[in-house]
Amino acid sequence: MLLEQLIGNLIQGLVLGAVYGMATMGLSLIFGVLKVVNVGHGAFIMVGAFITLWLFNALGINPILAVPVAFIVGMGLGLLFYYTIMQRLIKAPELATLLVTFAIGILLEETVKLIFGSEFRGYNWAVGKINLGITVLPMTKIYACIGSVVIALLLYLWFNKTRAGSAMRSVVEDSEGARVCGVNVGGTYALSFALGLGLTVASGVLLTMFIPVGINPYMGGGYTLKAFVIAVLGGLASPYGAFFGGLIFGLIENGSYTLFALIPGVEPFALTRFLSFAMLLVILLIRPTGLLRAK
Amino acid sequence: MKKESTKYYPLIPVFAAYLVLFLIGRNVPGMWQLVAMLLFYCALGQAFNIFLGMTGYVDFGYVAFMGVGTYGMALAITKLAHIEGLGIAIIIIGFVMALFMATLLSLAVGAVALRLRGAYFAIATIGVNEGLRFFIEGARIWNGSEGLIFTAQLNQILGRETASTLMTFWADIMVLIIAVSAAFITLYYIRSKIGYALTALREDEDAAKVMGINVTKYKIIAFVTSACFAGLLGAASWALKTPYVFPPEVFEIHYTIEAIIIVLLGGSGTLLGPVVGGLIYGISKYYLSIFIPGFQLLIFAPIIIIIIVLFPEGVVGMLKNRFKDSALAQFII
Repeated sequence: MLLEQLIGNLIQGLVLGAVYGMATMGLSLIFGVLKVVNVGHGAFIMVGAFITLWLFNALGINPILAVPVAFIVGMGLGLLFYYTIMQRLIKAPELATLLVTFAIGILLEETVKLIFGSEFRGYNWAVGKINLGITVLPMTKIYACIGSVVIALLLYLWFNKTRAGSAMRSVVEDSEGARVCGVNVGGTYALSFALGLGLTVASGVLLTMFIPVGINPYMGGGYTLKAFVIAVLGGLASPYGAFFGGLIFGLIENGSYTLFALIPGVEPFALTRFLSFAMLLVILLIRPTGLLRAK
Repeated sequence: MKKESTKYYPLIPVFAAYLVLFLIGRNVPGMWQLVAMLLFYCALGQAFNIFLGMTGYVDFGYVAFMGVGTYGMALAITKLAHIEGLGIAIIIIGFVMALFMATLLSLAVGAVALRLRGAYFAIATIGVNEGLRFFIEGARIWNGSEGLIFTAQLNQILGRETASTLMTFWADIMVLIIAVSAAFITLYYIRSKIGYALTALREDEDAAKVMGINVTKYKIIAFVTSACFAGLLGAASWALKTPYVFPPEVFEIHYTIEAIIIVLLGGSGTLLGPVVGGLIYGISKYYLSIFIPGFQLLIFAPIIIIIIVLFPEGVVGMLKNRFKDSALAQFII
């Protein structure tokens, strides 16, 4: 009985984990290329959620079709913020970039609050569900999971098969070396920032399929913290590492919840959060390159 | 080396600012609340500056030290309330507890996290802050997420009258004392070997190491000092002014951000900076929340961005450059 429940929760965790992973790829990409931690990460996820909500409720557009829209909006925001702000802070100390990205996050949250208000909203996309016997998966979650895997694969192909992708990888390895070899480093920074935010805003669309009634201007904070843990699991600078980090995180989050719930007198939900931050610290200290990388 | 007599001149504008604040608060009716808030922000900036400003390391989990300080005071009051005749001594025990807990946490965090640099350090300290909060909630330590409420105990031990003056006046005076001591320590560090070592490490840690500076030692000194002031500040400003403590409130990341903004606004690593930053931040926050309630952040966020992009040195940093060769220079650090 317990085992069935555990396996059921782990399946849910894996499905959610794929989306978590995709939602963290943008953070890792931006850190890998620009060495900037986007503390406003969650706010961009929130923007994606509101795009989905608005397209569905006002125009009746299918949330799957909201993914490319969100991606383009994210790219646009990325280019805007890069050329107005981030470009001037490439060589600045961490303090400046951490605070600026946080402030950008607040700016987005408050702007969305101004337009949509701060109450919780949601949408109802009824497409049925699948009963696996030990657990029930709504189709929306399955679509979100498939969408995440497809986007991760596309990013992989883009990185490995295109010129701009290789330029980006070369900047991650050694930005000075890349410059010497004729890579347009400034342009690569701008493109990476835009691509990272495009992915993040698009992931907001997929995440709404897990929280249909939890859309709110301040929903992002929790995702920022989760994304930090996931990014660290994957080595912080690697988008694929982040994707696998998301899978691991989803499994641990759901698996440990089932186990913590067995201990009397504790709050299992808070303990799962504690566990994730304890993991973050341990990995940062003993294996800062992430769980997957051997180097 | 500066002459002995002029060595402490830079403290004059700092102390003058605090004196003016205090006098306004005492003599202008209805101003004490605003003054108390400004003192809190100045003290917060002054305390955080000792670590953030002097080392350049970004502790994103700084509020955790205020959190454990608040718990130190709360625990002393709730656990010792049954002992007869302690009176005001219980408050002193509370501050000692706050200091002890902040020291312990900062030593533990400093020993492990200070090995990391840059963004890795920032993320690790967020992890410590959030981890601690969820550990207290999850394992139901110190009453877990229900928190500790100790207004009744405070009234019982000190009497209703004394407890009320403590909350509305003496707690703020403690904050003032913390701010002044932190300013004094800052100048002492700047003028001593510690300050030179920290400047070297802020500019280039590897080079400082190669020069034979024990960077770890000085980083930990700054970290623990800064954390101790935060612990006391939590005990004074949070535990005594509002006699309750809930984990989500005392580990709220926004306070860390406020502290960073204050330090940066005034001028990171300067002595006068946190005072200037605290005053500007506090006053604008207060009046923005009166004139455009609910949307002050919408105004604030772009201002922060503009300041960081255009004036990364902060107000005092700019003043320092402008008055470099004038007689004022010896008052501004």
